[in-house]
Amino acid sequence: MSIRSMNQATTTMNQLQKQLDIIGNNMSNSSTTGYKSRQAEFSSLLFQQINNMNHPENQTGRLTPDGIRTGLGARLGAVNVNNALGSLNQTDRDLDAALLNENHFFEIQGNAGEALFTRDGSFYLQPVNNNTEVELVTKNGDYVLGSDGNPIRFASTEIDGIQIEEDGTIMVTRGQQTENVGEISIVSIDNPRILEADGDNNFRLPNEDESGLGYADVVGAVNTGGKLLQSGALEMSNVDISNQMTDLISAQRSYQMNARSISTADDMQSLVNQLR
Amino acid sequence: MLRGFYTAASGMIAQQRHQESVSNNIANANTPGYKADQATLRSFPEMLIQQMGSKHVPTRKGLNLPTSRFIGGLNTGVYAQELVSDFSQGSIRETDMSTDLALENGTMPDEEGSLFFVVENEDGEERLTRNGHFTIDGEGYLTTNQGHFVLSNNGNPIQPNGDDITISRDGTIQADGMEAQLNIAYIDDVNNLAKEGDDLYTLEEGQIATAAESGADFQVHQGFLEGSTVDELKSMEEMMNAYRSFEQNQRVLKTYDESMGKAVNEIARLG
Repeated sequence: MSIRSMNQATTTMNQLQKQLDIIGNNMSNSSTTGYKSRQAEFSSLLFQQINNMNHPENQTGRLTPDGIRTGLGARLGAVNVNNALGSLNQTDRDLDAALLNENHFFEIQGNAGEALFTRDGSFYLQPVNNNTEVELVTKNGDYVLGSDGNPIRFASTEIDGIQIEEDGTIMVTRGQQTENVGEISIVSIDNPRILEADGDNNFRLPNEDESGLGYADVVGAVNTGGKLLQSGALEMSNVDISNQMTDLISAQRSYQMNARSISTADDMQSLVNQLR
Repeated sequence: MLRGFYTAASGMIAQQRHQESVSNNIANANTPGYKADQATLRSFPEMLIQQMGSKHVPTRKGLNLPTSRFIGGLNTGVYAQELVSDFSQGSIRETDMSTDLALENGTMPDEEGSLFFVVENEDGEERLTRNGHFTIDGEGYLTTNQGHFVLSNNGNPIQPNGDDITISRDGTIQADGMEAQLNIAYIDDVNNLAKEGDDLYTLEEGQIATAAESGADFQVHQGFLEGSTVDELKSMEEMMNAYRSFEQNQRVLKTYDESMGKAVNEIARLG
Protein backbone atom coordinates (compact mmCIF):
# COMPACT_ATOMS: atom_id res chain seq x y z
CA MET A 1 0.00 0.00 0.00
CA SER A 2 2.54 2.57 0.98
CA ILE A 3 4.71 1.36 -1.82
CA ARG A 4 3.70 4.20 -4.14
CA SER A 5 5.06 6.94 -1.93
CA MET A 6 8.20 4.92 -1.29
CA ASN A 7 8.72 4.56 -5.04
CA GLN A 8 8.16 8.27 -5.59
CA ALA A 9 10.82 9.10 -3.05
CA THR A 10 13.39 6.51 -4.11
CA THR A 11 13.13 7.46 -7.80
CA THR A 12 13.53 11.10 -6.93
CA MET A 13 16.45 10.42 -4.61
CA ASN A 14 18.20 8.51 -7.36
CA GLN A 15 17.76 11.51 -9.68
CA LEU A 16 18.84 13.95 -6.97
CA GLN A 17 22.01 11.92 -6.63
CA LYS A 18 22.63 12.53 -10.35
CA GLN A 19 22.05 16.23 -9.84
CA LEU A 20 24.59 16.17 -7.02
CA ASP A 21 27.02 14.46 -9.42
CA ILE A 22 26.56 17.25 -11.96
CA ILE A 23 27.03 19.93 -9.31
CA GLY A 24 30.12 18.12 -8.01
CA ASN A 25 31.56 17.96 -11.51
CA ASN A 26 30.95 21.67 -12.02
CA MET A 27 32.63 22.50 -8.74
CA SER A 28 35.68 20.38 -9.40
CA ASN A 29 36.04 22.09 -12.79
CA SER A 30 35.69 25.59 -11.41
CA SER A 31 39.23 26.38 -12.46
CA THR A 32 39.45 24.29 -15.64
CA THR A 33 40.33 26.37 -18.69
CA GLY A 34 37.40 26.79 -21.02
CA TYR A 35 35.02 24.63 -18.95
CA LYS A 36 31.32 25.38 -19.36
CA SER A 37 29.02 24.74 -16.43
CA ARG A 38 26.29 22.19 -16.86
CA GLN A 39 22.81 22.51 -15.51
CA ALA A 40 20.03 20.01 -15.04
CA GLU A 41 16.51 20.74 -13.87
CA PHE A 42 13.77 18.41 -12.71
CA SER A 43 10.55 17.57 -14.40
CA SER A 44 7.61 15.66 -12.98
CA LEU A 45 7.11 12.00 -13.80
CA LEU A 46 3.94 10.35 -15.06
CA PHE A 47 0.68 10.86 -13.27
CA GLN A 48 -1.48 7.89 -12.45
CA GLN A 49 -5.21 8.26 -12.69
CA ILE A 50 -7.14 6.64 -9.84
CA ASN A 51 -10.89 6.48 -10.25
CA ASN A 52 -12.32 6.14 -6.79
CA MET A 53 -15.89 6.70 -5.65
CA ASN A 54 -16.99 7.52 -9.18
CA HIS A 55 -20.73 7.44 -8.55
CA PRO A 56 -22.20 10.65 -10.04
CA GLU A 57 -23.63 11.59 -6.65
CA ASN A 58 -20.11 11.84 -5.29
CA GLN A 59 -19.01 14.20 -8.04
CA THR A 60 -21.01 17.18 -6.87
CA GLY A 61 -18.97 20.02 -5.52
CA ARG A 62 -15.77 18.86 -7.19
CA LEU A 63 -13.41 21.44 -8.63
CA THR A 64 -11.24 19.22 -10.79
CA PRO A 65 -11.89 16.61 -13.52
CA ASP A 66 -13.01 13.16 -12.31
CA GLY A 67 -10.71 10.83 -10.42
CA ILE A 68 -7.50 11.70 -8.67
CA ARG A 69 -4.15 11.89 -10.38
CA THR A 70 -1.19 10.94 -8.23
CA GLY A 71 2.27 11.73 -9.49
CA LEU A 72 5.09 9.26 -9.42
CA GLY A 73 7.95 11.55 -8.41
CA ALA A 74 10.41 13.60 -10.42
CA ARG A 75 13.30 13.04 -12.77
CA LEU A 76 16.09 15.07 -14.29
CA GLY A 77 15.64 16.46 -17.75
CA ALA A 78 18.45 16.87 -20.26
CA VAL A 79 21.73 18.32 -19.07
CA ASN A 80 22.19 21.73 -20.65
CA VAL A 81 25.54 23.39 -21.11
CA ASN A 82 25.76 27.06 -20.26
CA ASN A 83 27.79 28.51 -23.13
CA ALA A 84 28.33 31.94 -21.62
CA LEU A 85 31.85 33.27 -22.01
CA GLY A 86 34.15 32.67 -19.03
CA SER A 87 36.34 35.46 -17.71
CA LEU A 88 39.71 35.96 -19.40
CA ASN A 89 42.85 35.33 -17.43
CA GLN A 90 45.93 37.21 -18.65
CA THR A 91 48.89 34.79 -18.75
CA ASP A 92 51.25 36.64 -21.17
CA ARG A 93 52.34 33.27 -22.49
CA ASP A 94 52.92 33.39 -26.27
CA LEU A 95 51.06 30.18 -27.02
CA ASP A 96 47.93 30.92 -24.99
CA ALA A 97 44.83 32.05 -26.82
CA ALA A 98 41.32 32.76 -25.58
CA LEU A 99 38.33 32.72 -27.95
CA LEU A 100 36.15 35.81 -27.76
CA ASN A 101 32.91 34.47 -29.20
CA GLU A 102 30.63 31.97 -27.42
CA ASN A 103 30.07 29.85 -30.51
CA HIS A 104 33.69 29.52 -31.64
CA PHE A 105 35.89 26.48 -31.16
CA PHE A 106 39.44 25.47 -32.03
CA GLU A 107 39.42 22.50 -34.33
CA ILE A 108 41.78 19.72 -33.28
CA GLN A 109 42.46 16.13 -34.23
CA GLY A 110 42.34 13.27 -31.75
CA ASN A 111 44.67 10.29 -31.62
CA ALA A 112 42.49 8.28 -33.97
CA GLY A 113 42.20 11.13 -36.45
CA GLU A 114 38.68 12.07 -35.35
CA ALA A 115 37.49 15.69 -35.45
CA LEU A 116 37.41 17.28 -32.01
CA PHE A 117 36.71 20.78 -30.80
CA THR A 118 37.98 22.65 -27.79
CA ARG A 119 37.86 26.06 -26.21
CA ASP A 120 41.01 25.45 -24.21
CA GLY A 121 43.63 27.57 -25.96
CA SER A 122 46.76 26.60 -24.07
CA PHE A 123 48.93 25.30 -26.91
CA TYR A 124 52.38 23.73 -27.02
CA LEU A 125 55.00 22.96 -29.64
CA GLN A 126 55.97 19.35 -30.15
CA PRO A 127 59.24 18.53 -31.96
CA VAL A 128 59.03 16.11 -34.92
CA ASN A 129 61.36 14.97 -37.72
CA ASN A 130 64.52 14.77 -35.62
CA ASN A 131 63.88 18.15 -34.03
CA THR A 132 63.92 19.92 -37.36
CA GLU A 133 60.23 20.78 -37.26
CA VAL A 134 57.61 21.51 -34.62
CA GLU A 135 53.87 20.91 -34.52
CA LEU A 136 51.27 22.91 -32.64
CA VAL A 137 49.42 20.65 -30.16
CA THR A 138 47.05 21.00 -27.23
CA LYS A 139 48.20 20.11 -23.75
CA ASN A 140 47.03 16.53 -24.32
CA GLY A 141 49.14 16.26 -27.46
CA ASP A 142 46.25 16.46 -29.94
CA TYR A 143 47.08 18.22 -33.20
CA VAL A 144 45.72 21.72 -33.63
CA LEU A 145 44.40 21.91 -37.18
CA GLY A 146 45.11 24.74 -39.54
CA SER A 147 42.45 26.33 -41.71
CA ASP A 148 43.62 24.05 -44.55
CA GLY A 149 42.56 21.02 -42.47
CA ASN A 150 46.09 19.76 -41.77
CA PRO A 151 48.10 19.94 -38.53
CA ILE A 152 50.15 23.13 -38.23
CA ARG A 153 53.83 22.28 -38.72
CA PHE A 154 56.80 24.53 -39.31
CA ALA A 155 60.64 24.54 -39.17
CA SER A 156 62.01 24.75 -35.67
CA THR A 157 65.31 26.42 -36.51
CA GLU A 158 66.22 29.70 -34.86
CA ILE A 159 62.79 30.68 -33.60
CA ASP A 160 63.15 33.96 -31.73
CA GLY A 161 59.49 34.67 -31.15
CA ILE A 162 56.07 33.32 -31.87
CA GLN A 163 52.84 35.21 -31.89
CA ILE A 164 49.23 34.14 -32.39
CA GLU A 165 47.41 36.98 -34.12
CA GLU A 166 43.83 37.95 -33.28
CA ASP A 167 42.47 36.31 -36.45
CA GLY A 168 44.24 33.00 -35.71
CA THR A 169 47.36 33.31 -37.91
CA ILE A 170 50.63 32.28 -36.34
CA MET A 171 53.59 34.58 -36.92
CA VAL A 172 57.09 33.25 -36.26
CA THR A 173 60.04 35.62 -35.92
CA ARG A 174 63.48 34.41 -37.00
CA GLY A 175 66.07 37.12 -36.55
CA GLN A 176 64.70 40.08 -38.49
CA GLN A 177 62.24 37.98 -40.50
CA THR A 178 58.59 37.47 -39.55
CA GLU A 179 56.88 34.66 -41.33
CA ASN A 180 53.25 33.50 -41.48
CA VAL A 181 53.46 29.74 -40.79
CA GLY A 182 49.79 28.87 -40.68
CA GLU A 183 46.35 29.76 -39.45
CA ILE A 184 44.57 28.00 -36.59
CA SER A 185 41.19 26.68 -37.67
CA ILE A 186 38.54 28.49 -35.64
CA VAL A 187 35.09 27.14 -36.45
CA SER A 188 31.77 28.53 -35.50
CA ILE A 189 29.10 26.11 -34.26
CA ASP A 190 25.64 27.65 -34.11
CA ASN A 191 24.24 25.18 -31.64
CA PRO A 192 27.10 24.10 -29.34
CA ARG A 193 24.65 22.14 -27.15
CA ILE A 194 24.64 19.22 -29.54
CA LEU A 195 28.38 18.62 -29.05
CA GLU A 196 29.27 15.76 -26.75
CA ALA A 197 31.95 16.09 -24.11
CA ASP A 198 34.91 13.86 -24.90
CA GLY A 199 37.02 14.52 -21.80
CA ASP A 200 40.29 16.47 -21.66
CA ASN A 201 38.36 19.71 -22.42
CA ASN A 202 37.43 18.35 -25.85
CA PHE A 203 34.08 18.01 -27.54
CA ARG A 204 33.13 15.68 -30.36
CA LEU A 205 30.32 15.56 -32.88
CA PRO A 206 27.31 13.41 -31.98
CA ASN A 207 27.16 9.98 -33.64
CA GLU A 208 26.03 10.70 -37.18
CA ASP A 209 23.94 7.54 -37.47
CA GLU A 210 21.86 8.49 -34.44
CA SER A 211 21.62 12.24 -34.85
CA GLY A 212 21.64 12.43 -38.62
CA LEU A 213 23.96 15.39 -38.37
CA GLY A 214 27.28 15.32 -40.18
CA TYR A 215 30.27 17.62 -39.96
CA ALA A 216 28.87 19.97 -42.59
CA ASP A 217 25.52 20.29 -40.77
CA VAL A 218 27.08 21.27 -37.48
CA VAL A 219 30.18 23.26 -38.31
CA GLY A 220 29.64 26.66 -39.84
CA ALA A 221 32.03 29.27 -41.14
CA VAL A 222 35.73 28.83 -40.51
CA ASN A 223 38.03 31.79 -39.72
CA THR A 224 35.62 34.57 -40.52
CA GLY A 225 38.33 37.14 -39.90
CA GLY A 226 38.27 40.07 -37.50
CA LYS A 227 39.12 39.78 -33.84
CA LEU A 228 38.47 36.14 -33.00
CA LEU A 229 40.84 35.58 -30.12
CA GLN A 230 42.94 37.24 -27.51
CA SER A 231 46.47 35.92 -27.35
CA GLY A 232 48.42 35.70 -24.10
CA ALA A 233 45.21 34.96 -22.24
CA LEU A 234 43.13 31.92 -21.30
CA GLU A 235 39.37 31.63 -20.91
CA MET A 236 38.52 30.57 -17.39
CA SER A 237 35.68 28.29 -16.39
CA ASN A 238 32.26 29.96 -16.23
CA VAL A 239 31.21 28.03 -13.13
CA ASP A 240 29.80 30.29 -10.46
CA ILE A 241 30.83 28.65 -7.19
CA SER A 242 28.28 30.45 -5.04
CA ASN A 243 25.47 29.36 -7.37
CA GLN A 244 26.71 25.79 -7.29
CA MET A 245 26.92 25.89 -3.49
CA THR A 246 23.30 27.06 -3.28
CA ASP A 247 22.18 24.32 -5.66
CA LEU A 248 24.17 21.78 -3.68
CA ILE A 249 22.55 22.73 -0.39
CA SER A 250 19.09 22.73 -1.89
CA ALA A 251 19.64 19.34 -3.57
CA GLN A 252 20.95 17.90 -0.33
CA ARG A 253 17.95 19.16 1.64
CA SER A 254 15.62 17.70 -0.97
CA TYR A 255 17.42 14.43 -0.58
CA GLN A 256 16.77 14.51 3.15
CA MET A 257 13.12 15.42 2.67
CA ASN A 258 12.61 12.51 0.30
CA ALA A 259 14.31 10.21 2.79
CA ARG A 260 11.74 11.40 5.33
CA SER A 261 8.96 10.42 2.91
CA ILE A 262 10.38 6.91 2.81
CA SER A 263 10.64 6.59 6.56
CA THR A 264 7.11 7.95 7.02
CA ALA A 265 5.79 5.44 4.49
CA ASP A 266 7.73 2.73 6.30
CA ASP A 267 6.26 3.76 9.66
CA MET A 268 2.81 3.64 8.12
CA GLN A 269 3.41 0.13 6.90
CA SER A 270 4.63 -0.86 10.31
CA LEU A 271 1.36 0.46 11.77
CA VAL A 272 -0.52 -1.75 9.36
CA ASN A 273 1.55 -4.72 10.44
CA GLN A 274 0.76 -4.03 14.08
CA LEU A 275 -2.91 -4.57 13.38
CA ARG A 276 -2.43 -8.28 13.76
CA MET B 1 -21.29 -6.11 13.14
CA LEU B 2 -19.22 -3.18 14.25
CA ARG B 3 -19.68 -0.41 11.71
CA GLY B 4 -16.63 1.54 12.86
CA PHE B 5 -14.28 -1.14 11.62
CA TYR B 6 -14.72 0.04 8.03
CA THR B 7 -14.84 3.69 9.02
CA ALA B 8 -11.41 3.46 10.61
CA ALA B 9 -10.04 1.47 7.67
CA SER B 10 -11.35 4.04 5.19
CA GLY B 11 -9.67 6.75 7.26
CA MET B 12 -6.38 4.90 6.94
CA ILE B 13 -6.73 4.57 3.17
CA ALA B 14 -7.63 8.25 2.79
CA GLN B 15 -4.63 9.34 4.83
CA GLN B 16 -2.50 7.04 2.75
CA ARG B 17 -3.61 8.86 -0.42
CA HIS B 18 -2.96 12.13 1.33
CA GLN B 19 0.54 11.02 2.21
CA GLU B 20 1.17 9.95 -1.40
CA SER B 21 0.24 13.40 -2.66
CA VAL B 22 2.48 15.07 -0.07
CA SER B 23 5.36 12.78 -0.90
CA ASN B 24 4.92 13.59 -4.61
CA ASN B 25 4.96 17.29 -3.77
CA ILE B 26 8.20 16.83 -1.87
CA ALA B 27 9.68 14.92 -4.80
CA ASN B 28 8.82 17.85 -7.07
CA ALA B 29 9.99 20.60 -4.75
CA ASN B 30 12.76 21.43 -7.25
CA THR B 31 10.76 20.99 -10.46
CA PRO B 32 10.44 24.31 -12.32
CA GLY B 33 6.85 25.42 -12.76
CA TYR B 34 5.45 22.54 -10.69
CA LYS B 35 2.15 23.29 -8.97
CA ALA B 36 1.65 21.67 -5.57
CA ASP B 37 -1.28 19.29 -5.09
CA GLN B 38 -3.58 19.57 -2.12
CA ALA B 39 -5.65 16.50 -1.25
CA THR B 40 -9.21 17.15 -0.18
CA LEU B 41 -10.99 14.56 1.93
CA ARG B 42 -14.70 13.94 1.75
CA SER B 43 -16.96 11.80 3.89
CA PHE B 44 -18.91 8.89 2.48
CA PRO B 45 -22.53 9.68 1.60
CA GLU B 46 -24.59 10.31 4.71
CA MET B 47 -27.11 7.79 5.88
CA LEU B 48 -29.96 8.08 8.33
CA ILE B 49 -29.90 5.94 11.47
CA GLN B 50 -33.13 4.64 12.92
CA GLN B 51 -33.66 3.04 16.28
CA MET B 52 -35.72 -0.08 15.89
CA GLY B 53 -37.67 -1.31 18.86
CA SER B 54 -41.08 -2.53 20.03
CA LYS B 55 -43.57 -1.49 22.61
CA HIS B 56 -45.36 -4.08 24.70
CA VAL B 57 -49.10 -3.54 25.02
CA PRO B 58 -50.53 -5.44 27.97
CA THR B 59 -53.51 -7.26 26.50
CA ARG B 60 -54.75 -10.74 27.31
CA LYS B 61 -52.57 -12.42 24.76
CA GLY B 62 -49.81 -9.85 24.96
CA LEU B 63 -49.13 -7.56 21.96
CA ASN B 64 -45.86 -6.10 20.69
CA LEU B 65 -46.05 -3.04 18.45
CA PRO B 66 -42.95 -2.26 16.36
CA THR B 67 -41.66 1.25 16.91
CA SER B 68 -38.90 3.20 15.27
CA ARG B 69 -37.30 6.51 16.03
CA PHE B 70 -34.94 8.61 13.92
CA ILE B 71 -31.57 9.20 15.54
CA GLY B 72 -29.77 11.28 12.92
CA GLY B 73 -27.30 11.20 10.10
CA LEU B 74 -24.14 9.13 10.05
CA ASN B 75 -21.24 8.96 7.68
CA THR B 76 -19.46 5.66 7.58
CA GLY B 77 -16.10 6.72 6.27
CA VAL B 78 -13.92 9.11 4.39
CA TYR B 79 -12.04 9.11 1.10
CA ALA B 80 -9.59 11.32 -0.75
CA GLN B 81 -11.86 12.96 -3.29
CA GLU B 82 -9.58 15.06 -5.42
CA LEU B 83 -6.18 16.70 -5.65
CA VAL B 84 -6.50 20.43 -6.21
CA SER B 85 -3.37 22.10 -7.54
CA ASP B 86 -2.19 25.41 -6.22
CA PHE B 87 -1.73 27.41 -9.42
CA SER B 88 -0.35 30.48 -7.73
CA GLN B 89 2.75 32.12 -9.17
CA GLY B 90 5.98 30.35 -8.22
CA SER B 91 9.02 32.32 -7.17
CA ILE B 92 11.38 33.29 -9.98
CA ARG B 93 15.06 32.44 -9.83
CA GLU B 94 17.94 33.34 -12.10
CA THR B 95 19.76 30.62 -14.08
CA ASP B 96 21.64 32.65 -16.73
CA MET B 97 20.69 30.17 -19.47
CA SER B 98 19.39 31.83 -22.63
CA THR B 99 16.80 29.08 -23.15
CA ASP B 100 15.30 29.23 -19.65
CA LEU B 101 12.03 31.12 -19.56
CA ALA B 102 9.87 32.12 -16.62
CA LEU B 103 6.29 33.13 -17.19
CA GLU B 104 5.04 35.77 -14.80
CA ASN B 105 1.30 36.30 -14.55
CA GLY B 106 0.05 39.87 -14.52
CA THR B 107 -3.59 40.67 -13.89
CA MET B 108 -5.94 37.88 -14.94
CA PRO B 109 -9.51 38.48 -16.17
CA ASP B 110 -10.78 35.52 -14.09
CA GLU B 111 -9.97 34.66 -10.53
CA GLU B 112 -8.97 31.09 -11.45
CA GLY B 113 -7.28 32.07 -14.70
CA SER B 114 -3.65 31.40 -15.52
CA LEU B 115 -1.21 31.44 -18.43
CA PHE B 116 0.82 28.61 -19.97
CA PHE B 117 3.39 27.87 -22.64
CA VAL B 118 1.97 25.73 -25.44
CA VAL B 119 3.95 22.68 -26.53
CA GLU B 120 3.25 19.82 -28.90
CA ASN B 121 3.41 16.24 -27.63
CA GLU B 122 4.47 13.09 -29.50
CA ASP B 123 1.02 12.69 -31.05
CA GLY B 124 0.96 16.23 -32.41
CA GLU B 125 -1.53 17.42 -29.80
CA GLU B 126 -1.29 20.67 -27.93
CA ARG B 127 -0.34 20.51 -24.28
CA LEU B 128 0.26 23.23 -21.74
CA THR B 129 3.18 23.68 -19.39
CA ARG B 130 4.60 26.15 -16.92
CA ASN B 131 8.06 24.57 -16.94
CA GLY B 132 10.10 26.97 -19.06
CA HIS B 133 13.33 24.97 -18.91
CA PHE B 134 13.71 24.67 -22.67
CA THR B 135 16.59 23.66 -24.88
CA ILE B 136 17.58 23.66 -28.54
CA ASP B 137 17.49 20.24 -30.18
CA GLY B 138 19.81 18.86 -32.85
CA GLU B 139 17.73 20.33 -35.66
CA GLY B 140 17.72 23.75 -34.03
CA TYR B 141 14.14 23.74 -32.69
CA LEU B 142 13.18 25.15 -29.32
CA THR B 143 11.94 22.16 -27.31
CA THR B 144 11.22 21.13 -23.76
CA ASN B 145 13.69 18.78 -22.12
CA GLN B 146 11.59 15.82 -23.21
CA GLY B 147 11.86 16.96 -26.82
CA HIS B 148 8.37 18.43 -27.17
CA PHE B 149 8.22 21.38 -29.57
CA VAL B 150 7.43 24.77 -28.08
CA LEU B 151 4.82 26.37 -30.33
CA SER B 152 4.59 29.88 -31.67
CA ASN B 153 1.38 31.90 -31.95
CA ASN B 154 0.68 30.50 -35.43
CA GLY B 155 0.94 26.94 -34.13
CA ASN B 156 4.34 26.08 -35.60
CA PRO B 157 7.53 24.92 -33.88
CA ILE B 158 10.13 27.64 -33.38
CA GLN B 159 13.51 27.13 -35.02
CA PRO B 160 16.16 29.56 -33.76
CA ASN B 161 19.03 27.22 -34.86
CA GLY B 162 21.17 28.00 -31.86
CA ASP B 163 21.05 29.14 -28.28
CA ASP B 164 22.08 32.69 -29.13
CA ILE B 165 18.53 34.02 -28.82
CA THR B 166 16.87 37.07 -27.35
CA ILE B 167 13.40 36.81 -25.89
CA SER B 168 11.65 40.01 -24.97
CA ARG B 169 9.19 40.45 -22.12
CA ASP B 170 6.22 40.09 -24.48
CA GLY B 171 7.41 36.66 -25.69
CA THR B 172 9.00 37.65 -29.00
CA ILE B 173 11.94 35.40 -29.86
CA GLN B 174 14.69 36.82 -31.99
CA ALA B 175 17.65 34.89 -33.32
CA ASP B 176 19.92 35.19 -36.30
CA GLY B 177 17.55 35.75 -39.23
CA MET B 178 14.31 34.70 -37.56
CA GLU B 179 11.62 36.13 -35.36
CA ALA B 180 8.67 34.38 -33.74
CA GLN B 181 6.13 35.02 -31.06
CA LEU B 182 5.65 32.44 -28.29
CA ASN B 183 2.13 31.12 -27.95
CA ILE B 184 1.03 31.99 -24.44
CA ALA B 185 -2.30 30.29 -23.70
CA TYR B 186 -4.88 31.52 -21.26
CA ILE B 187 -7.13 29.14 -19.31
CA ASP B 188 -10.05 30.77 -17.51
CA ASP B 189 -10.43 27.99 -14.93
CA VAL B 190 -7.22 26.15 -14.09
CA ASN B 191 -9.13 23.48 -12.19
CA ASN B 192 -10.18 22.00 -15.53
CA LEU B 193 -6.59 21.02 -16.22
CA ALA B 194 -5.34 17.51 -15.58
CA LYS B 195 -1.70 16.72 -14.93
CA GLU B 196 -0.22 14.33 -17.45
CA GLY B 197 3.40 13.94 -16.37
CA ASP B 198 6.48 15.60 -17.85
CA ASP B 199 5.02 18.85 -16.46
CA LEU B 200 2.34 18.84 -19.14
CA TYR B 201 -1.30 19.70 -18.61
CA THR B 202 -4.24 18.73 -20.72
CA LEU B 203 -7.47 20.69 -20.72
CA GLU B 204 -10.43 18.40 -19.92
CA GLU B 205 -13.19 20.91 -20.61
CA GLY B 206 -13.32 24.49 -21.83
CA GLN B 207 -11.39 26.40 -24.42
CA ILE B 208 -7.78 27.43 -24.77
CA ALA B 209 -7.61 31.14 -25.49
CA THR B 210 -4.56 33.20 -26.23
CA ALA B 211 -3.32 35.73 -23.72
CA ALA B 212 -3.83 38.54 -26.22
CA GLU B 213 -7.50 37.63 -26.90
CA SER B 214 -8.38 37.32 -23.25
CA GLY B 215 -6.66 40.48 -22.13
CA ALA B 216 -4.46 38.73 -19.57
CA ASP B 217 -1.11 40.41 -19.21
CA PHE B 218 2.16 38.63 -18.57
CA GLN B 219 5.89 38.94 -18.73
CA VAL B 220 8.36 36.40 -20.07
CA HIS B 221 11.73 36.51 -18.33
CA GLN B 222 14.67 35.09 -20.23
CA GLY B 223 17.42 33.48 -18.14
CA PHE B 224 15.02 32.79 -15.29
CA LEU B 225 12.92 29.83 -14.17
CA GLU B 226 9.72 29.74 -12.19
CA GLY B 227 10.17 27.69 -9.03
CA SER B 228 7.81 25.05 -7.73
CA THR B 229 4.91 26.17 -5.52
CA VAL B 230 5.67 23.40 -3.04
CA ASP B 231 6.28 24.83 0.39
CA GLU B 232 8.68 22.34 1.96
CA LEU B 233 7.88 23.39 5.50
CA LYS B 234 4.17 23.04 4.95
CA SER B 235 4.65 19.70 3.17
CA MET B 236 6.62 18.36 6.12
CA GLU B 237 3.91 19.47 8.52
CA GLU B 238 1.26 17.95 6.28
CA MET B 239 3.15 14.68 6.09
CA MET B 240 3.42 14.51 9.89
CA ASN B 241 -0.28 15.30 10.16
CA ALA B 242 -1.21 12.60 7.65
CA TYR B 243 0.97 10.13 9.50
CA ARG B 244 -0.55 10.89 12.91
CA SER B 245 -4.02 10.78 11.49
CA PHE B 246 -3.21 7.40 9.95
CA GLU B 247 -1.92 6.26 13.34
CA GLN B 248 -5.08 7.42 15.13
CA ASN B 249 -7.25 5.53 12.70
CA GLN B 250 -5.10 2.49 13.24
CA ARG B 251 -5.65 2.81 17.02
CA VAL B 252 -9.40 3.01 16.52
CA LEU B 253 -9.24 -0.08 14.35
CA LYS B 254 -7.27 -1.91 17.03
CA THR B 255 -9.75 -0.88 19.72
CA TYR B 256 -12.59 -2.27 17.64
CA ASP B 257 -10.60 -5.44 17.22
CA GLU B 258 -10.14 -5.73 20.98
CA SER B 259 -13.88 -5.29 21.56
CA MET B 260 -14.50 -7.94 18.97
CA GLY B 261 -11.99 -10.17 20.73
CA LYS B 262 -13.84 -9.73 24.00
CA ALA B 263 -17.14 -10.50 22.32
CA VAL B 264 -15.76 -13.68 20.86
CA ASN B 265 -13.67 -14.95 23.74
CA GLU B 266 -15.26 -13.66 26.94
CA ILE B 267 -19.00 -13.31 26.39
CA ALA B 268 -19.24 -16.77 25.03
CA ARG B 269 -17.20 -18.37 27.82
CA LEU B 270 -19.17 -20.81 29.93
CA GLY B 271 -18.77 -21.23 33.65
